[in-house]
Amino acid sequence: MSQYLPLEGVRVCDFSNVWAGQSVSMYLADMGAECIKVENPYIWNPMTRAAAPKLSPMVAAMITPWMGGHPNNDPGPRPWNNSPAFIHVLRNKKSFTVDSRRPEGLAIVKALIRLSDVLPENLALGTLEKLGLDDDAIRAERPDIIILHLPAFGKTGAYVEGRGYGAHIDSAAGSSILRGYADLGPESNTQIFAGDYWVGVHGAFAVMAALRHRRRTGEGQTIELSQVECSAQMFPQAALDAAWNGREQHSIGNRSVEGYVPNGVFATRGDDRWIAISCRSDDEWRALTMFMGRPGWAMDDALSTVTGRRANETMIEERIAEWCAGQDRDELFHALQKAGVTAGPVLSARDAADDQHLAVSGAWTHLPATDDYPETDWVSPAYRFSKSDVRIRTSPALFGQHNDYVYRDVLGCSEDEIARLTEAGHIRDTFDQSVIDGA
Amino acid sequence: MTEQAAPGALDGVTVIDLTNWVAGPYATKMLADLGARVIKVERRGGDPARNLEPFLQDEPGPDRSATFQFLNTNKEGIVLDLATDAGRAVLYRMTERADLVVTSSSPAVEEALGIDYASLQPHGDPAVVSLTNFGHTGPYRDYRLSETVLYAMGGEMFGHGLASREPLKLGGTAALLQSGSMAGLAAMGAITAREVHGIGQFVEVSLFEAQIASMDRRSSAILGYRFSGRIVQRPPGASSGIAGGVYPVEDGYVEVTASGGNYWNRFVEMIGAEELRDPKWSQPETARNPAAKEEADGVVYPWMLTHTRAEVWKAARDAHALVAPYFTGMDVFNDETFRGRGLWVEIDHPVLGRQPVFGRPYVLEKTPWQLRRPAPTLGQDTESVLAWAGLDADAVPTLRSEGVVA
Repeated sequence: MSQYLPLEGVRVCDFSNVWAGQSVSMYLADMGAECIKVENPYIWNPMTRAAAPKLSPMVAAMITPWMGGHPNNDPGPRPWNNSPAFIHVLRNKKSFTVDSRRPEGLAIVKALIRLSDVLPENLALGTLEKLGLDDDAIRAERPDIIILHLPAFGKTGAYVEGRGYGAHIDSAAGSSILRGYADLGPESNTQIFAGDYWVGVHGAFAVMAALRHRRRTGEGQTIELSQVECSAQMFPQAALDAAWNGREQHSIGNRSVEGYVPNGVFATRGDDRWIAISCRSDDEWRALTMFMGRPGWAMDDALSTVTGRRANETMIEERIAEWCAGQDRDELFHALQKAGVTAGPVLSARDAADDQHLAVSGAWTHLPATDDYPETDWVSPAYRFSKSDVRIRTSPALFGQHNDYVYRDVLGCSEDEIARLTEAGHIRDTFDQSVIDGA
Repeated sequence: MTEQAAPGALDGVTVIDLTNWVAGPYATKMLADLGARVIKVERRGGDPARNLEPFLQDEPGPDRSATFQFLNTNKEGIVLDLATDAGRAVLYRMTERADLVVTSSSPAVEEALGIDYASLQPHGDPAVVSLTNFGHTGPYRDYRLSETVLYAMGGEMFGHGLASREPLKLGGTAALLQSGSMAGLAAMGAITAREVHGIGQFVEVSLFEAQIASMDRRSSAILGYRFSGRIVQRPPGASSGIAGGVYPVEDGYVEVTASGGNYWNRFVEMIGAEELRDPKWSQPETARNPAAKEEADGVVYPWMLTHTRAEVWKAARDAHALVAPYFTGMDVFNDETFRGRGLWVEIDHPVLGRQPVFGRPYVLEKTPWQLRRPAPTLGQDTESVLAWAGLDADAVPTLRSEGVVA
């Protein structure tokens, strides 16, 4: 009973992929579950360990840094062990390999299922069934297991055959229509994946709720989380305005639905440096205008209330933009906050890495180098428990890193079996050459 | 809405909810919706979220905010003045009987009201989850936040939008809700640790770090920078790949991804464009050739503009293409598939009458999400909560007349 981990003793047989699924199991692993990622050396799951299994430095450099920013811009021979988009979600997890399409591989997977408490998956619809692992088959191995399915558009209903990654889920969830430049159409929208955050957290939450029910009753269950339906709830204002008032909301750019005027993002001195400013009350508006030196345009009594400011919103935004343009972003940020105005810099990845608050708040966890990535600071879990040891306890799992532990200590395979499974290519520490060659 | 035979996953958990506005109430809503008893403690005048738009028929009123309804379903409500000694004494009686306390005040206000961890811990040793803007230490500790500032500092905004324009926020209050959901998950961890290990403890969630720590283009962008020295920037244009991005259709928009290989073939199948079947269209060089994109768009646009969103979405599903409709809030509400699957339920509220609200965010087979009651009116459950807290019925009128409870 060391470390008071909430999910101590819980084992996860992890079939999750991409971001939403892999962050579900990451949160469970953070909370102390032993999360064993099931990996197949003969199959490349898109958007799960890297953009591609073979990546030259030249190609990686063309891929956006959150995915293609491999160490020193050189993915090396094992891009699946150092893509910043994916290696991070493997913290606190274990990785083992097996070709589950072959009978002896399927038997290994079933043996692991018998020893597991949770099975999360977001493989393409029908993949598990094709393997012979539908819910009934899983439950035949482990009757009280908790199964989490994360279909993009639901497992029943007219949208079952829909295919979607983050952008498509964002689109159908009613998210994309609400963001973008108010003076341009949706055609100018770039992609964002708001649903990945949401689905990851809610999936882990639902699993932990189901684990509680199982602790009390011994009963497992199946959870179906339709990513689009879950993500739609991130935008209650627009959906409920439609439901209650019949109104269709569209993007309002950087203006506020919280009733704040002004509210926006303004350029400051230098290249691509921006500050967000919100006046959350009439007091904050007075504080802002005081700080600006009571300029004549702002002294109109009509602007002292939010109703009056809303009627002049464009003019106010233009004046504030002019005022911000020559100022230093960070000096303005601190000065406005100290004057009682809600403001903050638009932090780039570099700004965040250098941020003085994050430097002392425990946001970073320093991890040692491996053959695939250098020692550096990784982002810590966002929740800090005073007693439970919920933090990055073990470095992100490299491909096949825990084969020895899983086959020997968890599954109890004999030396002969391990030799045979290694010979047959189930136990490997790289993908098969056919995968690497894209064959 | 009262047809409830099934158990809730969090039956028997008691939560004292001292949160306001958006993030904290969403965290406790997650617990309440699965069966936890969540007692929402409001200041005199109520949670300011009661003033959040939209309102029913656009008329403001303490019980007319749809946003407030959404955030507070299944909670009980009591009005308690924590600025008074008598109010705090009532609170501590409540925490003695609770598993979890959730707060969302600034560190300074936590101390002033006696709801900081050191003050709460002696009263029942509950788990305490504290949502703050920036945590309890560090130079930004006392700084203010809004939805827009949170998303700006959270690391994703910088890369959202076009290179030639200002960075963009998300719709609504998505960042606050995201950070709130992280606190909900932390609360579930605290409840679990309490039940499994018998411990109370302090759990801190900073809204700022709950943005920075998310995978999607926040922590991944930061790690990518540390690895490669490159930073995520806003792209010069909205399109992605040879046929990719947002396309207008007859009655709206759709999101298209049709980069090389399988997804290109499925897309071509979907629009039935024989001239785009040539393998050259799947070559990486083609994807980077503006003239090729223009040529492809010459085929794609006319097809899109002569089909409705529903037609495109159906064709996409038939072809398993990576294409989805741009839904508005109206679509999310009216969509027959969503409705048929149970995305919407109805509250029956003394002021609002029967109104639709979001139902389950996921389907828990054995312990389903259940709507047991709408959000509380101001002080709706004050009497019953005070009785539960062990207060003499005789003491209540005095507390009321002194303004300690309402």
